Amino acid sequence: MPSAASAYEAARDAGVLDQLIDKGLLLGAQEVEPDVLGREADGAAYVLEHPRIPFVSYPYEWSFSLHKAAALHHLDLQLELLKHGFALSDATAYNIQFIGSRPVFIDHGSLLPYTDGDIWIGHRQFCMQFLNPLIFWAVFGIPPNHWFRGALEGIAPEDLAPLLSLRHNLSWTVMAHVSAQAALQRRSLRKGTIAGKPSERRLSRTAFQGMLEGLRRYISRLRLKADQTVWGDYAQDNSYAGAEAAAKRAFVSEFAAATKPALLFDLGCNTGDYSFAALQAGAGSVVGFDFDFGALEQAFQRSVEGGSAFLPLWLDAANPSPSQGWAQAERKGLSERTNADAMVALAFIHHIAIGRNVPLEMAVDWLMAIAPAGVIEFPPKSDPMVQKLLAQREDIFASYSEEAFLHHVQARGRLVARKSVSEGGRLLVWYDRRG
Amino acid sequence: MRRLLPYVFLGLVLVSLDTPAFAYLDGATGSMMVQAIIGSVAAAGVFGRHALAKTKAALVRIFRSPTSGDR
Repeated sequence: MPSAASAYEAARDAGVLDQLIDKGLLLGAQEVEPDVLGREADGAAYVLEHPRIPFVSYPYEWSFSLHKAAALHHLDLQLELLKHGFALSDATAYNIQFIGSRPVFIDHGSLLPYTDGDIWIGHRQFCMQFLNPLIFWAVFGIPPNHWFRGALEGIAPEDLAPLLSLRHNLSWTVMAHVSAQAALQRRSLRKGTIAGKPSERRLSRTAFQGMLEGLRRYISRLRLKADQTVWGDYAQDNSYAGAEAAAKRAFVSEFAAATKPALLFDLGCNTGDYSFAALQAGAGSVVGFDFDFGALEQAFQRSVEGGSAFLPLWLDAANPSPSQGWAQAERKGLSERTNADAMVALAFIHHIAIGRNVPLEMAVDWLMAIAPAGVIEFPPKSDPMVQKLLAQREDIFASYSEEAFLHHVQARGRLVARKSVSEGGRLLVWYDRRG
Repeated sequence: MRRLLPYVFLGLVLVSLDTPAFAYLDGATGSMMVQAIIGSVAAAGVFGRHALAKTKAALVRIFRSPTSGDR
């Protein structure tokens, strides 16, 4: 295997990097003097500077469609590389990032010259980080995000195979890439056998290309079960269709136009109504977060159709992604990646203050820490959606009131504007922590 | 029957495989072994698709009326 520097030089000098960048497969980059990094350069042969990605996301924060788009992007990149006589040194999903809804590959240092006969080094990793989570999701209708978050390398074939029935194995892809691979791996473990170094194994170019194309065909046909694309707040979402929704859109638009955030977080983005309003009013890009995978599917489709700078991600706000991996520094937690200039949290706070028992003051504190300026909606206890949350439990939330909410906001920043947006008393508050 | 061939092939390979024993196992052993099988089937598929396309093209040439190309 060539050194990283010589492999990079080979790809650069063959014009492959430029062609991939032009096709949108690879993030743009240019060489800069290593001195710009000072001592951090540490003898590096090359230092590349690339455009800043609005927000770094991880596979366990992706919806099904985002994960599928990332998998297809990886395969498209591999197939394009193969045409030029190059391959990838691995198949980690963390090397795919999203700019809006568009996937892009970010690791310029993982391109290697390909020689006819080279085995696919990243095959197992591709299965664990792309194929198996998608199969698990499509076959069982269960999001693999919790599993993936607990196992950063993804889902091993040996772990997925026992869950699959004979019917699932009627698919050649499932049978071969999951069950057969798992059987061979288990067999090797049992017998203590190894297959040798990857460089000692041979795989013809036709076979390699056929495998990539076969996986591409299979993954492009994967679909969620019909009920998985329906979002839980459909009725609620529709109930906002009137004057209330228009008032909220106007307030968010006014806020975005005044603050012009380069990056705005939309917490509880649902299908993206207010994210799109913020974008139209001047936000540079929006990262939306929601707990409902069905809503995220709709949001992603809308973002793709509009070619928008809107990335909808999965988030359990009461348990956000932690810092984890090697030395707890390999994958950063949400708070360490939070770089928003502004935030909006509409129809959100009651879900954590009442739905998840987080004291109101802590909920306000957490929200306002996300960005220096933002809009938070406060639905009073009499609101039908709050009543719905309280329907099956005792009301132990004596401190949940508009007066307390305003007090907590004003203790942390300036109240720039406020507006009642419903007859039931839903209140929008625009805060600014910078004074 | 043609659709079953890959599975039959896979079954035969799985029962016939044996390699020397070592004390330590590489994590991708299953992947490297299975690529030999999947690759063979994929290559056969590519070959089959090309052969089918060539056959179709040849048949079209044979049965196409001599005048149809002049219109």
